[in-house]
Amino acid sequence: MADTRTDGVRAPVGGGAGASRPPRVNAGSVATHAALSLGALVMVFPFLWQLLTAVKSLAEVSRVPPTFLPDDWNWTSFDEVFTALPFREMLTNSVLATAGRTAGQLVFCSLAAYAFARLRFRGRDVLFGLFLSVLMVPSSLLVLPQYDIIQQFGLLNSTPALFLPGMFSAFGTFLLRQAFLALPRELEEAARIDGAGTFRIFWSIMLPLIRPALAALAVITAMTAWNDLLWPLIVNTDPQTMPISAGLSSLEGQYETNYPVMMAGSLIASLPMLLVYVFLQRHFVQSVAFSGAKG
Amino acid sequence: MHRRTLLCSGLAAASAPVLAACSDEGGSTDAGGRTTLSYGMWDPAQVPGMEQIIAAFEKEHPDIRVRVELTPWANYWTTLKTSMRGGTAPDVFWMNAVNFQLYAAHDVLEPLSEHIERDRTPVDRHPEQLVRLYAYDGTQYGLPKDFDTVGLWYNKALFDKAGIKYPDTSWTWDDLRDAAAELTNPRERVHGFCSEMHRQFVLYPAIHAASGHVLRDGKSGFGDERSIEGLRFLTDMIDRGWSPPQSAMVESTARVRYWSEKAAMVHDLSAMAGQMYAVPALKDHGGVTVLPKGRERTTIIHGLANVISAKSEKKAAAWKFVHFMAGRRAAEIQAKSGVTISSYAGTQDAWLKSMPEFDLRHFLDMEKSAAPYPSSKNTAVWENLQYPLLGAAFSGKGGIEGAARTLGEQMDRALKEERQS
Amino acid sequence: MSVFPATAAAKSAGRRSPTSTARPAPRGQRTAYWFIAPLGLGFAVFYFWPMIQTFYFSFTKFGPFGGHTWTGTDNYARVLRDVTVWQALGNTLIYCGIGLLALPLAIVVAALLNRRGLRGVAVYRALYFVPFVTLPVAVGLVWNWLYSGDFGLLNEILGWFGVDRHYWVSDPSTAVLAIGAVMVWSTTGYYLVIFMAGIKSIPQDYYEAAELDGAGALRRFFTITLPLLSPTLFFASVICMIQSLQTFDLIYIMMGEKNPAVGDTQSVVGLFYKWAFIENAQGAAAALAFLLMLLIAGLTYLQFRLQRKWVHYG
Repeated sequence: MADTRTDGVRAPVGGGAGASRPPRVNAGSVATHAALSLGALVMVFPFLWQLLTAVKSLAEVSRVPPTFLPDDWNWTSFDEVFTALPFREMLTNSVLATAGRTAGQLVFCSLAAYAFARLRFRGRDVLFGLFLSVLMVPSSLLVLPQYDIIQQFGLLNSTPALFLPGMFSAFGTFLLRQAFLALPRELEEAARIDGAGTFRIFWSIMLPLIRPALAALAVITAMTAWNDLLWPLIVNTDPQTMPISAGLSSLEGQYETNYPVMMAGSLIASLPMLLVYVFLQRHFVQSVAFSGAKG
Repeated sequence: MHRRTLLCSGLAAASAPVLAACSDEGGSTDAGGRTTLSYGMWDPAQVPGMEQIIAAFEKEHPDIRVRVELTPWANYWTTLKTSMRGGTAPDVFWMNAVNFQLYAAHDVLEPLSEHIERDRTPVDRHPEQLVRLYAYDGTQYGLPKDFDTVGLWYNKALFDKAGIKYPDTSWTWDDLRDAAAELTNPRERVHGFCSEMHRQFVLYPAIHAASGHVLRDGKSGFGDERSIEGLRFLTDMIDRGWSPPQSAMVESTARVRYWSEKAAMVHDLSAMAGQMYAVPALKDHGGVTVLPKGRERTTIIHGLANVISAKSEKKAAAWKFVHFMAGRRAAEIQAKSGVTISSYAGTQDAWLKSMPEFDLRHFLDMEKSAAPYPSSKNTAVWENLQYPLLGAAFSGKGGIEGAARTLGEQMDRALKEERQS
Repeated sequence: MSVFPATAAAKSAGRRSPTSTARPAPRGQRTAYWFIAPLGLGFAVFYFWPMIQTFYFSFTKFGPFGGHTWTGTDNYARVLRDVTVWQALGNTLIYCGIGLLALPLAIVVAALLNRRGLRGVAVYRALYFVPFVTLPVAVGLVWNWLYSGDFGLLNEILGWFGVDRHYWVSDPSTAVLAIGAVMVWSTTGYYLVIFMAGIKSIPQDYYEAAELDGAGALRRFFTITLPLLSPTLFFASVICMIQSLQTFDLIYIMMGEKNPAVGDTQSVVGLFYKWAFIENAQGAAAALAFLLMLLIAGLTYLQFRLQRKWVHYG
């Protein structure tokens, strides 16, 4: 049992038991493919539409009946994005805001989630209920007082303003708490008998075991932060301090919107997020196994 | 620094408040001794034109810089209201009629009357109804920069196909109705007209053309017989199939139908001329004229104004900018950029000439007889009542009289609450 | 007695191994507070304090540019009297009911993606993530086109089967369902990410053992995947309920302002938004938000009570 302390994670399925079997081709997997492909088509269709809109002319975009494929493939919208917006600064702001918020949530939420799931202390359930209450009010309800606080800190029009409130999340705490709760209790007990301290158990035994949940939280938080709109617009009015989501939305007119440029901008802006996902999904689709945990 | 100091002492003699503003500015200048103003707006299409005006202004006032802050329309007012609390609002920003009285009543705008008098700002060169839209309790808080009127856009090719005459300045509602009937072609999914449930483009103009009113002396006009007559003219077109119902114009609006040559006639803004011009088919055979006459010939006029935040620490510089924006030079530059009609009389030539295929003159001609966009202190509250209550009648389900009367009663209740607040 | 499951877990663990942390030392207690402190501090500053302030404002008349006057429970009375609130509440409950359908859908897809030996899994996973990076405006545009009464694909297809054309999003009787469908579409990918992580936390050995026992795919799903996924599933069902009770953005994007069905599809948060940000009735809006919070808290409490019957913790 001593080896649990060093690392509980075993090789991923890809390299383990799963891949050593030859893939079975049968009616079942044909049906699976059919269902998954249909689902994937439904999922991707609006994105495809976005791509096609980006290469249409403004006139073609607002035509009835709508055209599916563009009359002319017109790539100028992609160039226009860069002249319409300070794209590089905005991208930098987005990256910083997203990184700050994601890192903050991973640290603060995992610490608190561990305590809520695995430690016993007075007032735990009340505190947890209190934390959850934050999820139960519309987030725009708190925008005004939050703005006042950021202003008192003198942080308006700054990068920290973009991610400060978002670093603290009831959603993340709840998600990670459930992940901790799902872990077998024996692991911890063994370590405790071996004399490991609470933080040590948290850091080197429990945390690695919820890696899939951490990765899922990272992906969801990063996406939320990347697409956040109302909050950045309120705290950072200076275009130089705005993230790309806010910048893109400013292309929206009162009566008419330049959809091709907007869609092109959004496509460019979503590339980094796709990369983050591809990088992180490796973690949350990787199996975790508990050596000797069954018992 | 010299110039600024001189200016300030010069002005100090003229007016005390300005002196206060000048001394306020001590701390907010940059290394070069220049004051930087922020200028809030929402229309990305107008940014290039505004930048040109700013360049001209900065040349005249080397000690002032102006930085554009563009906020999307959908969030403009929310953001502005929040930042007014905290004092991060732009020094100068765009205002519209719907929101103006709310801001003026809460003392968050800088009164301009004294400045106007002192600097002889050419207010009389702007349409009078428009200037009055931005006065509250006898004090002027905003100066118009542009205006919009609504005209009748038509598709000459569809008229030719139906073999009827194009609309002109002699048209009445009867002519419109007859033509709409002829032009409607269900097989091609073409409608003669679009009775779109749009307050500024369609509802208000129709109400006024029927000699009705939307708001008068703090009372709703929706229950008025004449107003109902105007609305009935619109829903009647839907009931007869000459206009698509509102339920069909949700995804494909009147404008989109006109662009796609599925609507022969629509009401639309002068500000949309540029976009119409960009559609090749319309540049070729689109036309525009005045709105047809009901009981009277009229349209709705609205325009944006520049206002100064009462919390601005750079009011002297801000006023110089607003004053400049209300002048002839700025108006000419704006007209040349082609997006909107400058409100300064006699500067619109460049705009007219920018699209020779369209007879844009009609939009200017309508200004004299136009009714101003109706507004009160909390306009949004009673405006929000309109679409949900009128929706069914505009979807071919009938009952416009009852719906309009209910709307009138509810609007009166909202206006009463507004007076008490 | 607590409704929160950690207690239950600790108890069951305590039953199994008496040496567990059933009776923590005071020092252990203090450690727990240190774990929570950073998050607690952030919450206090950025959420609890604003919530307290806003709660106070819900008893006042609140000026659009600051300033307020005490009006007692007027705002709450206004909310409860307003018929549009009750209509919005009805709609919101329907959205919630439809929104929860995303969960079974996401579980099935997650389980399918977990089938070992399935080719192209990585591609599917990437494709199912795409809604995350699709611009919300594009989502609104494409669905509105699909639903469009005159020119939409849906009517076109239904037309082949002789179904009459229908204005899906502007007819009050179908608009809520039409929006609900898009809601399910837009959240499935989200729960998929969560479920994939949950499934992957299930020790692989369990499956191997079951397979040796001759359990088929379906049985493995019901006897291993589902029970062991239940903590995640519980999380997802609470979150899904809370979020669909707060639906707003999607309705706004899909309906626009001039839709004749706009009143019939309004959600509670939509109403909140209208009052707070358009009609300058922040006090009443806050009262509405806190009443909604009360409802959500009640339902969440219920979920926590019920979980003991179906959630299995480690």
